[in-house]
Amino acid sequence: MANNELKKEISNALENNVLRGALGRFAQAYPIAREKAFTGYDFEALRNKVQEVKSFAANNIDEMMDQFERNATARGSKVFRAANAQEANDYVKKVAESHNVKRIVKSKSMASEEILLNEALREDGIDVQETDLGEFIIALAGHHPSHMVLPAIHLTKEQVADLFTDYTKKKNDPVISYLVKTARTAMRKKFLEADMGISGANMAIAETGTLMMMTNEGNARLTSTIPKVHVYIVGIEKIIPKFMDASYILKTLPRNGTAQNITTYVSMYTGVTEAYLADGSKGTKDFHIVLLDNGRRNMLKDEKFKQIFNCVRCAACINVCPAFQLVGGHVYGGHAYTGGIGTLLTAFLTSEKTANKVQNLCLQCGKCKEVCAGKLDIPEMILELRNRNAAESGLPFTQKFALDVVSNRKLFHSMLRIASVAQKPFTRGQQVIRHLPMFLSGLTEGRSLPAVAEKPFRDIFPTIRQDVKNPKGTIALYAGCLLDFIYPKIGMGVIASLNEAGYKVIFPKEQSCCGAPATYMGDKENALKSAILNVEGLNSEKVDYVVSACPTCTHALKEYKDLLKDNPEMLKKAEDLDSKVFDFSKLITMLGGLDDKGDGEPLKVTYHDSCHLKRKLGVYQEQRDLLTNTNGVELIEMNESDRCCGFAGSYSIKFPEISGPILDRKIQNIVETGAEVVAVDCPGCLMQIAGGLDQTNHKIKVKHTAELLLEKRKNQQE
Amino acid sequence: MHIVNELYEKFKAKFEGVNGECYRVAQTGDLGDLMSDILTQKGVKTLSIFESPLSQAANLKEKLSKAGFEVHTDNLLATTAVDDAGITEVKWGIAELGTLVQIAPEVDNRLCSTLVPIHLALLKTSSILPELDDMLATIHSLPEIPSFVGFMSGPSRSSDIERTLEIGVHGPEQVIVILVDE
Ligand code: SF4
Ligand code: SF4
Repeated sequence: MANNELKKEISNALENNVLRGALGRFAQAYPIAREKAFTGYDFEALRNKVQEVKSFAANNIDEMMDQFERNATARGSKVFRAANAQEANDYVKKVAESHNVKRIVKSKSMASEEILLNEALREDGIDVQETDLGEFIIALAGHHPSHMVLPAIHLTKEQVADLFTDYTKKKNDPVISYLVKTARTAMRKKFLEADMGISGANMAIAETGTLMMMTNEGNARLTSTIPKVHVYIVGIEKIIPKFMDASYILKTLPRNGTAQNITTYVSMYTGVTEAYLADGSKGTKDFHIVLLDNGRRNMLKDEKFKQIFNCVRCAACINVCPAFQLVGGHVYGGHAYTGGIGTLLTAFLTSEKTANKVQNLCLQCGKCKEVCAGKLDIPEMILELRNRNAAESGLPFTQKFALDVVSNRKLFHSMLRIASVAQKPFTRGQQVIRHLPMFLSGLTEGRSLPAVAEKPFRDIFPTIRQDVKNPKGTIALYAGCLLDFIYPKIGMGVIASLNEAGYKVIFPKEQSCCGAPATYMGDKENALKSAILNVEGLNSEKVDYVVSACPTCTHALKEYKDLLKDNPEMLKKAEDLDSKVFDFSKLITMLGGLDDKGDGEPLKVTYHDSCHLKRKLGVYQEQRDLLTNTNGVELIEMNESDRCCGFAGSYSIKFPEISGPILDRKIQNIVETGAEVVAVDCPGCLMQIAGGLDQTNHKIKVKHTAELLLEKRKNQQE
Repeated sequence: MHIVNELYEKFKAKFEGVNGECYRVAQTGDLGDLMSDILTQKGVKTLSIFESPLSQAANLKEKLSKAGFEVHTDNLLATTAVDDAGITEVKWGIAELGTLVQIAPEVDNRLCSTLVPIHLALLKTSSILPELDDMLATIHSLPEIPSFVGFMSGPSRSSDIERTLEIGVHGPEQVIVILVDE
């Protein structure tokens, strides 16, 4: 199970109503504002360009660094390459010492937080002042940032007022505009007194030796204008090749991060500038640039992770992350980086141990990938962390045991058959289990669990009559555990539709769990076992198509070719399977849809997109068309239809406290539509949403599209 | 002129969209009176000017002093820290974004547009470029990239407390641009 410390952090965060309120409101407003900011701009084309220029720089990092250094030096900058935090901190201390620096002003720099520069400078008795409003506040509170661009989002104006009252020794009322004035006045003094400035940069341009910074408050401009010495801390991933390449980042970063067309300030520094010296005369600023590695080259050397270099730190991924929206940044544990991307940065730049712990928070919903300015596949990389961690330190015994069972078809299936009988005392004859005893009760918190079907689909299959004259071909049905043992009715719907399309359906009995639970928990060994069993068991060479009514299974089946890439014979079979397997709605649509149009009885239906179906398989229109082409069905779209329902496989078992509130929001969105039925294409979502609706006593039904189509047509036949 | 007007309209709309104020005069000679009105209306008593071709052509120092303002043109580190307003000339505008673009290697130019609570910028109407990319290409085509190029899109802002947008943090609280046709 998940680490206890992490559990505690999560429960603290969830109890923090301020944080949840602020994050929740932000989560609602952000997608709309972002879309507006991108109106008239081709986001896909822009992010392709971001990816192109950033990965070019990454692949040619030595040349880029040389070029940058040459051009910056030619203009009077002093460039220092720091291999690690220690070297960077020592260099900055040395610069400070050589100028006898007493007071430093800083504008936001995540890299300096990463290397704990403030702490290092304070050891030398130097006064270091964060001037960014949010950073100033959290420094007073003694906190780490809770968000990449809104570091103090977890504090209320009342809390800020108290902190300011303590700091200024004057009463501050909790009125935001006054609080901002207080900060302005306090910082003004600091700017004027400072003898050195430190900041970060958003881009470093190799071609010209230019640094670019994008900011809103004006503190960065003051930090770099007033003091006579300045040090920039710049991670080597900030380098881009050409001056004109900045265009793509200037266009995506502010729109993606804060839904602004452009930040209030964009400042471009190329070499030394003029500054006031200590004696009041004007001279040349002492201008230093620290190019920081500190683990970045390890990232670059790793084929699976080098794409992190394409990140522009816009924070869009965090803004849309359902897990982050609930728990906020502190739970992610890194002192600098938070959220999904933060987990990855933490792994390479600050603490692998922390990263291994917090990677568990990712639901693998893929939402971040949709909005990422650098086209990073965050869930894939988090899964890779999970795999490596599991391979290195092994999975906890209970998880490993469960996965061993699931991957052993005979054992798992006989356990499910036993469960069907053993659950009786808890179901009291109903379709759902509302309460489980003792330690298992976490499983039913906020949702009910479905009862195991009395007869699994594999036993029902031989009794299904398939009336297909002159079949056009044969389709193998892959059921997957949920359909087979919990929701056999979905299977009947799938068969009825495919029969109507003119195909005969077979059920290969040797099929086994698809292996997704093992894959998502980082257990490669059991995932591989499942792959072999199914590639052989389904024997796709013998059929025209393979159909599955669970997108997680479909995706898992398609990925077997990666798991089996070292086994040429199996690989051939896996590739055949990949080319033939489709999700139900997709396949029916490919085969020409359904002729029989349904009973015409009015039915209000809303639709929930499963993460895997929409984002991994790209299917979202087909099922909507199938539904709206059915007479009587009125499709009412819900708000945030493609937002995760919180199931995410074992996630809902590991983190019911996070999964629960995510489900609540889904239920609310469903209820608001006024629909009688919510259609889904994934049995996992079905189980989660049905459980949530049952607990909240809503009469709305959840149905798989295949099941709904079957019902709408059955009525007509009767 | 048609193009100029079109760009002006677009620029103005975008600049006001980021909380800036936009005025336009036909002649350099009209600048002094308009500025005097704006500054009076904003309650400004003291101001710093970073002298530029436009400010000199309009004879601002003399005119504003005569109008009763306390005007500073040197030792701007000391004056901008206390003055009510600062006046600078910016080099370009970007219509697409409502952005003012300054080339400011001189420290006083930067102070006069950053440290003061009210920044008044002068810009030739003909120097408004259509898009960000035109701007970048123009900067890139200079013999060398100036040591400081600053984009300014309205007054400083922050949403750091409870995500509520506040105008006027460390940089100016008000930004006014006067476009000069001549
Ligand atoms: S995949 Fe989903 S849960 Fe994981 S980091 Fe991305 S948005 Fe967050
Ligand atoms: S991972 Fe993508 S979305 Fe997230 S901060 Fe980086 S560029 Fe932005």
